[in-house]
Formats: sequence, C-alpha cells, structure tokens
Amino acid sequence: MELFFQFLSNTGFYLADYRHLIMIVVGFVFLYLGTAKEYEPLLLVPIGFGILVGNVPFFKGFGLGIYENNSVLHYLYFGVTSGLYPSIVFLGLGAMTDFSSLLARPILMLLGAAAQMGIFFTLLSAMALGYLPREAASIAIIGGADGPTSIFLTAKLAPHLIGPVAIAAYSYMALIPVIQPPIMRLLTSREERLIRMPELREVSKKERVLFPVAAVLLSCFLAPASIPLLGMFFFGNFLKECGVTERLAQTARTSIIDTATILLGLTVGASTQGDVFLTPKSVGIFFLGAVAFSIATASGVIFAKIMNLFLKVKINPLLGAAGVSAVPGSAREVHLVGLSEDPENFLLMHAMACNSSGVIGSAICAGILWSFMIGL
Amino acid sequence: MYGLEAISTHNGWAMAVAGVIIVFAALVVLSSTIAQFHKILNFLDDRAASQNDKGLQKACGAEDFPASDPLRMQNLAVSARQFRLISDRLGEPFPLPKLLGLAELSGLPRPHSAINDLLKAGLIAPDGKGYFFWKQ
Repeated sequence: MELFFQFLSNTGFYLADYRHLIMIVVGFVFLYLGTAKEYEPLLLVPIGFGILVGNVPFFKGFGLGIYENNSVLHYLYFGVTSGLYPSIVFLGLGAMTDFSSLLARPILMLLGAAAQMGIFFTLLSAMALGYLPREAASIAIIGGADGPTSIFLTAKLAPHLIGPVAIAAYSYMALIPVIQPPIMRLLTSREERLIRMPELREVSKKERVLFPVAAVLLSCFLAPASIPLLGMFFFGNFLKECGVTERLAQTARTSIIDTATILLGLTVGASTQGDVFLTPKSVGIFFLGAVAFSIATASGVIFAKIMNLFLKVKINPLLGAAGVSAVPGSAREVHLVGLSEDPENFLLMHAMACNSSGVIGSAICAGILWSFMIGL
Repeated sequence: MYGLEAISTHNGWAMAVAGVIIVFAALVVLSSTIAQFHKILNFLDDRAASQNDKGLQKACGAEDFPASDPLRMQNLAVSARQFRLISDRLGEPFPLPKLLGLAELSGLPRPHSAINDLLKAGLIAPDGKGYFFWKQ
C-alpha cells in the first residue's frame, strides 16, 4: 500500500499546481488555433503540443525536464539556445523565397526598413518599464514579427526569456489577421487603399542569381552579427537560383526546414514550464510584443504614405504593413484588405517584395542589437 | 530604475537612433544596388552583342549590317551554312525560287523567312540579272 501511495505522489496529478494547468489551457488554445482555425498551423501545432509536453508535472531530479541536464528535451533544446535551429530555418526560408518582385521594384525595400521602427520603439519602452538592456532588446525584436530571429537574438542575449519571447512572437504572427487589418484601415483612406500598383517588370535569371551574392556581402559587411541568419538565408536562396543545385535547394526547403521547425516548435513549447514561464515579466513581454507588432505595422503604413508625397507613381500604403517579416501572412493580409476594397486590385506580389525585405531588415536589426549589447 | 531615466542610463536613445539609421542605410544601399542590376546586366549584354555583331559583320563583309542580338546572329550563321550547302548544287548565280524549292524539299524550317534574313544581312546579293550569288 505504501508503494502505491509513493507511486501516486510521483504522478503528475499529485504534483500539478495551477500554473501547470494554466499553461496546459494555453497549449490547448494554440492547438485549437492551429488545427481548427488554421492560423499558422505549422508553427502553432508543434508549439502547442510542446506546451502540453513541457507542462506535465514530474518529479524533479529524474532528468526529464527541458531545464534538467542530460534529459532528451534538454539536448534537443540545445538547438534553440545555441541559435542552431533558427539558422537552419533561415536556410530553408532562403530556398523558398522568390526575390523577383523585390528585384523588379527595389524601392519597396524601404518599407521593410520602415516597419523595423517598432523594434526600436519597443526597445525604449521595455527599458522604460525596467527591463535590463539585454532583455529589452530580446523583447523589442518581437516587433520584427519573425519567430526564428526573435529566438536567435533572445538565445544570445537573454536565454531565460526564450519561452515568453518565442510564444509572444509566434502568437502575434498567428494573429496577423486580427491585429493588422484594423491598423491598416485606421491609417489609410479608401482612396489610398484603391491605389493600383503598376505591373512588375520581368526579372532575368542573372539578376536573381546575383542578388543573394550582393545582398549577403552588403548586409553582412554592415552588420556582421547577422551572418548566422542572413548568411544561411542568402545561401539557401543562391542554391535555389543558381540552377545547378536544385536537389540541395529542394532538400533545404522541405526536409531540412521541416525538421528544424518541428524541433524548434516542440522545444520552445516545452520550455514554457508553468513555474518558470508564468511570471510578471512574461505578462510584460506579451504586452510589449503586442505594442511592438502594432507599431511595426503602423510605421510601415505611415512611411508608405510619406513616400507617396515624393513619388510620381504612388504606391498603395497598405503595402507598408507587409514590411514586417511575417512571411507570407502579412503579405496575404495586405492582399486581402486590398481585394476587399477593389476585387481587381492584386497586391500580393508587391506585398511579397516588402515582406522579403522585412525578413532582411529584421535579421539586420537582430545583428545590430546583438552588437550593441556586447559588453553590457 | 524606470522611465526616461532608465532609457538614458542604458544609452537607449543612442541605440534606437543608431539602430534606425543603420537598418535604413543597409536597406537603402541594398535597394540602390539591386536597382542598378538590370541596367548593368543590360549594358554588359549589349556590349557582348555588339562585339558578336562586329565579328559576324567582319566575317560576312557586310559593313552596313544592323546590330542585333547574339542569338539572331547565331541563327543567321546557321541558316547561311545550310543554304550554302543547298545552293552548291545549283552553282552561282542561282535563281531564288529554285533555292527556295530545294530548301523546302530539304525540310529546312521557315525557308521564306530565312532567305529574307540572308538577303537583309547582305549575305546573298542580286547580280542585277534576276539571279543571286553569295557575297563572299
């Protein structure tokens, strides 16, 4: 009988407290959003399931938890804390990305820069709220709306915040259809939303091959700390475009990125153990993440309106909202908002140009913030 | 420490301003560079094409032959070789209808258009008596 009671006292039912239960509910919400609502299912499903796995209470010292040395989850989590998975995800992203629309209309790249304002505004806000500079930088990067970049920078600067930062970043990416359209509508008039973009010119193969080479050199020379992300990103894109490594590009954009996404999502989810995750800091991170993402969207739209003051051929300011690097969610949302005003206004390809420059912009921001924080 | 004091103490203002400037500078430089890509590539392609044209003009001896793209020049050279083989059976000077007939019999693609191109390029020239000859 004593053995039976001893066994019972080691079960999750006995060890559970309210924090585990709250996180399990959060895990259910993620799984519901991913499966029933189909909001970013490839991200939310692994993270949601990881939250369930990470919040099963266990007897400490068995080497089971993600924060315990020698546990399987701990080894898998090394890919997150070392920045390995984000780099691999960027390799796959590069092998998927078509820069033709960006090459056809390079000026749209400025919208990708403008949308990064949210990052620096949030950096200041987080510092004002009492976060240390390294923590503030990790929170601020949520404004880039790029999960892997947020995880990468947080792993380097504030590893104890990986869970909340990653969950906040991916949550807001999944909630793009809820967050972005009201901001877009609020900041633009109907006439502006009706602006049609000129047809994009055809881009030659030579341009597409040269672009990743020039881009990696220019951006990494300026912000060397972004090499792990942009180096892999442009390498993946070169594999895709050079025309002689199609097999490698195919592997990078399928098996490799899928494997990294599964492990990244599952371990990030599992890192949200209730007793570690549910702190006032996490609540603050969620609040600041929402601010960062909203300001990033707004600054992209406002900058597009400012550009229109100087351009002969006006651009549709909705495109500014796609300057955040949530690929392709925000581009799709811009396209849908444009279509809701004019069913024949197709903005998708133009929005993808802003979106891909947003990826580059947020990775550069991560590099800049990392280099600023060295020595702090 | 909270508020503006915390921002100032941690050098936040300088970080934010410098960060915005650097990210804009990076993307402006990148966008200006890629905006020049197609112009540079077109310029290099045009140069290569004009060098090919000059080479072919020299070979053909037709100084007034208009510059065109390298692919067209290559096609012209191939056509010239094929029609030369056919016209060898006719001797020189040769009547164009016969050359056309033989080209059709030989199954050459678009013989009318090909002969027209050879005439325009000056590779085949009229002898003034209703017959034609190869200009070199």
